[in-house]
Amino acid sequence: MVSIRALSKRYGDLVALEHVDLDIRPGEIFALLGPNGAGKTTLISVVAGLVRATAGTVQVLGRDVVADYRFTRSVIGLVPQEINFDPFFTVTEMLRIQAGYFGVELTDDRLEEILTALDLTAKRDTGTRALSGGMKRRLLIGKALVHAPKVLFLDEPTAGVDVELRQALWRYVRVLRDRGTTIVLTTHYLEEAEELADRVGIIDHGRMLLIEEKEQLMRSYAGKTLRATLAAPLPSLPPALTELGARLEEGGRVLALTAAPGTSLGPVLAALAAAGLAVEDVETHRMTLEDVFVNLLRSERRGPGQAAGAEGR
Amino acid sequence: MIGIGLRTLFVKEVRRFLRVPGQTLLSPLITTVLYFVVFGFSLGSRLREIEGVPYIRFIVPGLVTLGVVSNAFLNTASSLFVMKLQGTIVDLLISPLTYGEILTGFVSAAALRALAVGVLMWIVAGAFSGFQLAHPALALVLLVLVAVTFAALGLMTAIWANTFERVNFFPTFIITPLTFLGGVFYSARMLPPALLRFTQANPVFYLVDVIRWSMLGFSDGAPAIGLTILAVLCAASLAGAYAMLRSGYKLRG
Repeated sequence: MVSIRALSKRYGDLVALEHVDLDIRPGEIFALLGPNGAGKTTLISVVAGLVRATAGTVQVLGRDVVADYRFTRSVIGLVPQEINFDPFFTVTEMLRIQAGYFGVELTDDRLEEILTALDLTAKRDTGTRALSGGMKRRLLIGKALVHAPKVLFLDEPTAGVDVELRQALWRYVRVLRDRGTTIVLTTHYLEEAEELADRVGIIDHGRMLLIEEKEQLMRSYAGKTLRATLAAPLPSLPPALTELGARLEEGGRVLALTAAPGTSLGPVLAALAAAGLAVEDVETHRMTLEDVFVNLLRSERRGPGQAAGAEGR
Repeated sequence: MIGIGLRTLFVKEVRRFLRVPGQTLLSPLITTVLYFVVFGFSLGSRLREIEGVPYIRFIVPGLVTLGVVSNAFLNTASSLFVMKLQGTIVDLLISPLTYGEILTGFVSAAALRALAVGVLMWIVAGAFSGFQLAHPALALVLLVLVAVTFAALGLMTAIWANTFERVNFFPTFIITPLTFLGGVFYSARMLPPALLRFTQANPVFYLVDVIRWSMLGFSDGAPAIGLTILAVLCAASLAGAYAMLRSGYKLRG
């Protein structure tokens, strides 16, 4: 769908993107994760034609985004990070204008569909200046959809959006994907990527650290932790539990254990019971993408070698 | 054939200035009336006639040119600059519109506003001084060329400018002085030799002069020179604006 090869972008001495290779597959939701300033926006801006690459190539549906910009731009939709609005026009007018830029006459049916999907019907004749922040963001999404793009780029779509709207946007993103739109979203909310993405790319300092199926990533990196609060503090653990990797914390009150991905906690619980320990409370925590992300960035910053190793897993 | 994209941009630009007619159409008319009251009546009673034409009528072509120049420039400059400021320029930059279409859309809408202002000014002026048009078709062509030239310059300025201060740089420091010193209010024949040479180095002088010829039937210089200079300026400004859009200068990172 989108094929990025050896893409680099420099602003003077600042390296925004460094030799990025990435393939977006048709029909997937791809989440581009990274801290602020990692190069996420630059990357999608090059694809959308807002930024010119220093080196490398980008193809959309097999066509070059520079040489064949009319074609590639006509199949791309972009929801920019920054909210923009033209105070001269209403919601409906903005949607019609945006469709027109793409050479499309917006039919009434299509207009209704977009207004309904984004819950803007009541505001259709409202000047864009009078919209709330959340409505302006929904209008941005609407504008990106007027020409029924094959690939939709959402740059931090839920930044500054309340929980309810975020849920609604996520539902709508899935609807779009189910209808065949390929979706690339950038986010620094890891929860968002975990919730939506089929695949995840992690980028930092302009370099792609890792590209992986989300499920695979969670399996490979995301272990489980178990914390059992004991009825009475223990001076030391029975060997059976130590062998399983358990340790004592909080003055012997808590038995803690981090299980490798894919391992079962069954034997630990069995060993606890066998040792006759009275347990007050058990808490398990499955590591989230956030934990994975933090660990990965940490190891990357310690030395690139480790991350390269991680990529091979 | 004109595509939907170009048509949309043109219509959007026209609707933009029609939403604020007080600023974009009425305000230049009020300025014209003021010029007439101040220059036409007060100076006109002393100067009486230039080349056999009452002074109040002599200044009409220059005032119309001034109106066309400033409104063409302001329309593209403020529209594009505000789009940059508000971020809505992104909507245009990610669209499949070609550079030529973007240029044509902005320039033609600005030219329409400038011509509307020019014609309204001419009508108001005629009400004061009587109507006179020596070569109507030529006058229209010349005003279109002037409008296109300064609309393209306005577009270039808005692309280049980072601040409102810079948007105003050209009108304030270049266009207004050149226009006022370009024979809008006087005939070059009235000037002492030193000032005359200065005036002859001013391209706007030739624009005003050839437009005066098209409206009143006489000029200080040869109309062919004015027409040539105007054609060259028009082609150069269009080419410059196209090149800027194409290069992505200050628009695409």
